[in-house]
Formats: sequence, C-alpha cells, structure tokens
Amino acid sequence: MTRALLCALALCFAGAPARAQFDHAKHAKVFPSCVGCHAGVARAGAPLYPDSAACAACHDGTVERRVPYAPPAESLRTNLRFSHLTHAAKAPNAKCVSCHQDADSLWMAVRPPVVSRCLDCHGIRTAHLDAPDTACATCHYPLASAPRLARADVARFPEPPSHRASGFAGGGHGVLANAGTPVAASCATCHSRSFCLECHVDAPERPQIQALAEDPRGDAIAVTLQPPVTHAGADFLRTHGAASRLPSATCATCHTRESCLTCHVATPAVAVALHSAEPGRGAGAQLSRHRPAWHTADFQRHHAPSAETAVQTCAACHTRRDCLQCHRPDAAGAGAYHPAGFLSRHPAAAYSRESSCNTCHNPGQFCVSCHKSAGLVATGTLGSGYHDANRFFLAGHGVAARQSLETCTSCHVERDCLTCHSALGGRRFDPHGPGFDAARMIKKNPEVCTACHGTSIPTQ
Amino acid sequence: MTRARLSFLLAVLIPGAVRAQGYRLRVDLRGQAVSYRGVTLDSVPVGDTVPGVGGGPVTPDGIAALCVQGEAYCSFYRPGAPQRSDPVSTTADFTAWGFGLPGLSLHVLARGGADLGDAAVSWPGTTPAVQLLEGYAEYAQPRYVIRLGRQTQAAPIGFTGFDGASATARDARLGLDATGYLGWGLADASALPVTSAALNPLDDFQPVERQLVAGAALGFRSAPFDVRWSYERQVDRRSDYFVSERTRVDAALRPLAGWSLTASGMYDLAQALWGNVDLRLAWQARSGRADAAVGVSRYRPDFDLWTIWGAFSPTAYRSLDGSLDLVPWRALTLHVTGQVYKYDPTGASAPLVDVQSSGWRFAWDGAYTLSARWRLDAGYHAEFGPGASSRGFTGGAAYALGERVNLSAHAGTLDTPLEFRVDDASVWMLGAAVAYRPSGRWSLDADATRYAENRKRPDAAGFDWNQLRLSARVTLYFGSGTGAGGVPAAVGAMPEGPR
Repeated sequence: MTRALLCALALCFAGAPARAQFDHAKHAKVFPSCVGCHAGVARAGAPLYPDSAACAACHDGTVERRVPYAPPAESLRTNLRFSHLTHAAKAPNAKCVSCHQDADSLWMAVRPPVVSRCLDCHGIRTAHLDAPDTACATCHYPLASAPRLARADVARFPEPPSHRASGFAGGGHGVLANAGTPVAASCATCHSRSFCLECHVDAPERPQIQALAEDPRGDAIAVTLQPPVTHAGADFLRTHGAASRLPSATCATCHTRESCLTCHVATPAVAVALHSAEPGRGAGAQLSRHRPAWHTADFQRHHAPSAETAVQTCAACHTRRDCLQCHRPDAAGAGAYHPAGFLSRHPAAAYSRESSCNTCHNPGQFCVSCHKSAGLVATGTLGSGYHDANRFFLAGHGVAARQSLETCTSCHVERDCLTCHSALGGRRFDPHGPGFDAARMIKKNPEVCTACHGTSIPTQ
Repeated sequence: MTRARLSFLLAVLIPGAVRAQGYRLRVDLRGQAVSYRGVTLDSVPVGDTVPGVGGGPVTPDGIAALCVQGEAYCSFYRPGAPQRSDPVSTTADFTAWGFGLPGLSLHVLARGGADLGDAAVSWPGTTPAVQLLEGYAEYAQPRYVIRLGRQTQAAPIGFTGFDGASATARDARLGLDATGYLGWGLADASALPVTSAALNPLDDFQPVERQLVAGAALGFRSAPFDVRWSYERQVDRRSDYFVSERTRVDAALRPLAGWSLTASGMYDLAQALWGNVDLRLAWQARSGRADAAVGVSRYRPDFDLWTIWGAFSPTAYRSLDGSLDLVPWRALTLHVTGQVYKYDPTGASAPLVDVQSSGWRFAWDGAYTLSARWRLDAGYHAEFGPGASSRGFTGGAAYALGERVNLSAHAGTLDTPLEFRVDDASVWMLGAAVAYRPSGRWSLDADATRYAENRKRPDAAGFDWNQLRLSARVTLYFGSGTGAGGVPAAVGAMPEGPR
C-alpha cells in the first residue's frame, strides 16, 4: 500500500472523535448481521451507529462490565461522495463485508474500507492516485462541497503522480482543466479558485479557473511558482523582449505589469497588455531587479561601447538619472565614473581628451579652482617658467595651445592670453587659425570680437 | 513664465507632496579625506642664482630658475605645501507621486557639500554648500510628458541644465518622438548659473545675466534603424547675441542580429565648424561572450561665444579606435582597447618648440572568478601623446563574505611623465575596500588607499610625497510600498504607457 493511499485513508476518516473503539471480532458470536447495529446502512433515517443503550443491554455492570461507548457525535470530515443506501440500491449484490472485510476473513473481522475496493468496483484498474483525472469526481465531492474539511486537511491532500509529470505545472494542467470537462470537475476535488490565484495573474480571464468555486481553503495546498524551462537559458534576459512579443507568448499567465516595471523604467508595449496587480488576480511571479549576466563586475568600466551603439537596450532598464549618478560629478564622489587613482593620472587623459572632461566638469568650478589651490594657475605676468621642459615654450606654445586648448583653460584665463593676443595694446599676435570664420562670428556674437578688437572689428 | 508664477506653482505642488501616495527617497552620504601637493611660484634675485649641472641658473637650494634677460629676479616653482581636503556631500534624490492626478509626480535632486579640510581653496563642487541639481514637476501620459522646473536635458547634443519647461510627445506605434524645451540656462556641467562666483575662481570675464536656452529634438526608432536630430541654441539675454548654436544628428543601423553601425555628427552653427563626428561598427555575439567595436572619430572642443576661446581656433584630432571584450569561459572576462589619434594641422609656427601632434592609448584588463567568493582582476593602461602621458598596472582581489559583505584589496603603479614640464612622477598605490549591503534599505562602501608618489626632477624641486586617501559612502533608501530599496527611484519616476 502506498504512502499516498495511507494518507488518503487517514484523510477519509480523519476527524473521527476519540472514543472507545468497538472490537467487532470480539463480538463475532453475538451479532449475526451488520444492520442490527448499523441500521442506517439499509434504512433511510436510521442512525448509522447504535447508541450507548444498545451496548448497555449486555454491558450493564452485572452481565458484563460497563463500557464507555458512545456513538460518534458528528459526521466524518471527509469529501467522499458515498452513501450506503445508494450503493445498496445500485449494487444489490454487494454485501457489507465486500468493503469492510478482507476476503476469506472471519465473520466480523472488519476493517475500514480500502480505496482499492472502490476502484475495483468502479472499474478503475490503477492505484488510487494513479486514477485518471476524469475519475476523481466519481467518489469525491468538490472541495467547496466538503465544508467539514479543515485547512489542515486540505493541506494534507496527497499529490497525484500525474501532477509531477514534466510540463504539467508549466501549462499541461491548463490544457487538461478546460472548463466543463470531467477533468475540470476532478480539479475541483482538491482545488478552489484561491489555489489558482497563488500563481495565475490571468485568473479572471481563465474560464477553467472561474469554473472553480471560491473557497479560501484552496490555498492551503502550498505551491511555488517555478520558472518554466524557457526561462532558464543563459540568454533569456537578453531575448525575453522579443519572445514576449510573439503571438504565442503567455507572459500574462504569471506576470503582472509590475513584473516588467521591476526592471523596466518605462512601460514597454508588452507590459501595457499585461494586467496590473489587483484583487482577484494572482500575485504572479515575484521578481527582483538584478544585474544581467553580461553586466560583469567590470562592466561599468567598459559599458561605453554598448551604450553608444545600442542605447535603446540600456534605456529599457536605465534612465538618464542612472547615468548622471556617475556622469555628473559629486564633490565627494570617489570611485564613481573614474577608476581609483584617476586623480593622479588625469593630466594625460585631459590633454588627449580620453573623454570629454567638459561634458561633466565645469572648467571654472572643477579644474581651475583645484589648480588654483595647487598653485598651477597663471598669476601675474606670463613667462614665469612652469612649462620648463622647453626654454622657449612661451614663444612657441601655439601648436600646443591649439591642440589642447581645453587643457590650457584649466589653468589660464582669457586675461592671460590677451596679454599678447589682443589688438588693443597687447603684442597683437593673431590667434585665429584655420577655419576661423570672422564674418560668422560677427553675425552670431560680435561682443566676442570686442574683447580683442574693441569697436574696430575687422569684417574679415 | 515669470519667476513669481513659477514660485506660485511650486508652492501649490509642495503641500501636495505631503499628501503623496507614494514616494522614493535615496540619500547618499559621501566623504573623502585626501591631500594634494602642488607647486608655489617663487623668485630669487639674479645675483643669488648659481650655475646648475647643465649650466642653467638654479637657486641656492638647487631648483632650476627661469631668468629673463634684463630682469632683476628669476622665477622658479618650489614644491608646494601639502594641503588637506575633506569633502563631504549629501545627495537626496526624491520622487513623489499619487497626488490624485494620475501621471503627476514631483522630483527633487539636491546636494549639500562642504570641505572640512584646511586647503586654501575649497574642494571643487562644495561651493555653494547647497545646490539644487533638479527640481521639477512632471505630468506623464502614454503619449506625452511635460516637465516644469529645474531639469537636465540629457540629449546627444549634451547635458543642458535649465529652469524652465520641456515637453515630449511620442507615438510608440510609429516609433516617433519629439521634444522641445525652453528656459533660463545653467552653466555647462554645473547646477549653477553662469553668473555664479563659484564658476569664476580667477576673477575672469563673466556674463552678468543668465542665458536663455531653447532646444528641440526629433527621433525615429525601429528595430533595424534609429535616427535622431537635435538642435539647441543659447542666447545672451542682455545682448540677444548667441552664446552657442549647435545641431547634431545621430543614427544607428542594425542590419543583422548582433551588428550595429552608428554614426553621429555635431555642427557648430555659431562658428560654422564641424564638431565631433563618430562612425562606429559594433558586433556582439549572441552568446554574450564576445563583443567588439571599431570606430573612427573626430574630436573638436566646443566653446561658448561669451569666451574668446573659439576665436583661438582649437584644432581637431582624428582617431581610429577599437575594443574587444571576451568571455572565453564563464569565469574569465577580458577587455582590450586601443586608439591612435592625430591632430589636424594647427596653422601655428613654432620652430623652437617641438610639440607632439599624435598619440596613442592602449589598455587591457581581465577578471577571473575563482569561486563564488573570490575574484581576481588585473589590468594595464598606457597613453602617450601631447602634453602628458601615463602608464601603469592595476590589480586586485575581491572576497565575498556571505551575501552582504564584499572585501577587496587593490594595488597599482603609475608613471606620469609630462611633455611641457620636467616632471616624471611615479606612484605606487595599495588599498583596501569594503562594501556592506545589509538590506535593500541601506548600504555602505569604504575605501582606504595609500599613495606613495615620487616626483622626479633633475633639480631640487623633485620630492617624495606619501598620503592616505580615505573615502566612505552610505546610501539610504526610503520609500512607500515594498521593494523601495531594490528599485531605483527612476522606476517610480517614469511614466506609465507605451514607450
């Protein structure tokens, strides 16, 4: 006998009140028939169990010692669809012993009925829990029609082996449970709508689920939503967007719109089609935002090419605010955008524009103020010799200045350059180089020109 | 809209924030302790100098001096005194929604900072002490988003901060979107107006009024092809002249799975010059275990027209670069990148000064995950070109102490020779860091690194300089509902509706 069967038997008779057990075998010579005591088996309205007075006829303290027998005060906590009267009427050849005794056993060697007897008579040639899904309702009431079962009883319902079959949880159960079929009735034996709500976000749209009665005991059967095998691939996170747009996609079964918003910062079109979490719907898959596999530990340092070439991928989960966390400098933000120790090597990166410093750093606020503190800014007359690698640097700085003008402006202000490059009293060195469009400059902002030329602005 | 009207609108909205049904607040507390050592300009009478090793004048204590014929004093730079800065900052990122009008939300990003050290000049970014980076009300519907207040327009043309309004309309079905914005501008890469004294530490020329900013963008997006056009102009309100006027086009083509070709080009309408241009081909393996990119680009800096720098004709450079990322097996990641670049002719003549006009940079690094707890990484970089160069190794090991604590140690070397100044510094770094994530509600990161620097020069101006740099960061997450700590505030800030 399988463990499941034992459980089932225990369930059928669970809740029988603790009372003195009647030893049938010991009384084998006293009672010639069953219905003498269990009249209710054969006669409508008669009690199924004898009352204590029946025992006292012998057990009166004189003939036999008194016994504390009392009939069960309440009916069994069971969901069995069974009536002795009905069975007696439909199967006149069946005797009590057919179910309550083993074959060839002595008279009144009774025992609780075993499920196999039910299955045998009903033509089901399998173990109890291997019975076809169409057969459950033959012997069992729907859960909602078995009000005497407690939540604990429901929680102990054995799981049929068929429910452990590959693919059953992922979708097979839904196919089998089409509303109105015998299978659906079998589902109702153990399940109510609240059980389905443990997973199904789309419960209101599922006729199979709506066909089930609402019964709060249904979720006593604990179930853990497992991701289907399709979600297990290493590349699933990257490809789920395209998969979700396929006509065959079934995302709405287990995912709410909030599932998408766990990671996605705007609502993708797919998410719009999903249901929001609300009463009457299952909570569905509970997701947490985490780094995708390709965001390796050093991804932050190397994300630029990806961001440049497929920014729409980034935008699925990130907003500009995420970018600005690092790309907008924080006064005390060590170890953000730049790698550790960058302060020591930033001159090379700045000179050759490894990245555009001015995108994130205001030259006045960041570069000049710090260089001023370090004594690097020009003060007073130029020519004091900071650029001492070449004695004639000041006279020949033009190439370096045009190549690295942004770097120059991190230490020098316009006043320094106007010392020589102004047409108003400087040495009148012309600073304009290839591509300079004087006419355009005059048209857009002639005030720039007045810094060097005053009001006598040449037109070419 | 006048400032008075804006103030009134905020006054109406702020009490509403108290009644908001949902909010997210991230508070970031950071602090550093660093010191730095520069140089100090000094002078010495010509008569006090002595001949140095190479015959040039040096000070009596051996520092090379520059003496100009006819002047009584020679100048020189002696090592500056070490200065200490202890910048601390607090950043609050607040989003509230649920004011009774679906789609309406309020966003505030503010930062407070101070330098607790003894440096003569405060650490960059700590003045003024409190800065409002963003503060706007947003009304978002599936087809449009309207923002009002201080905001940053992060368009391809650049980050533009302003106090004003922006609107975006989009049609997800057609893949179209359009954005327009208008307001009083902030300075480039700053939350301060251009009139702020904090942006002018050397008392240079400075605008007296904030500029007006106006911009627009149009975009089309589809699976195989994206294109975006951006335009922005900034106008000096006092003179009505242009501060800048730029336009840019970005396009991306994805002809095959895993392949993309992107191109962008910026044109400076104010100066009639092409700015940055980029063309890039990228490939990514479907397995995610390899990606590579190769690109050609042109870089030319942009200067606003209220400075004279644009008239000095900054020269562009052209470059060829490539990168390769590999994950040969699950535990190992490798990254290699390189670039060569060359400046356009400058048009300047300087026969006595030989300046490099080309350069290159190369870097590789890799990480190896020994186990679920251990991870090792190492890398090397070198960049040699005009002005300054650097090269060095880095390496580190990280150990995950359970799910919540990560310990790491890192070390590195660095050489930073300069081209225009005799200075060949070598640096050793050795540090340790800890990251603690006890829950989704708060986290702690701390780092301590020892720097040993040797500023090598042939004269007495060289020096050794060692220091310990400390940094710490505590991040706190608050929010209504569950999971506030696990989801960035951006999630709550985004509109609901088709993209």
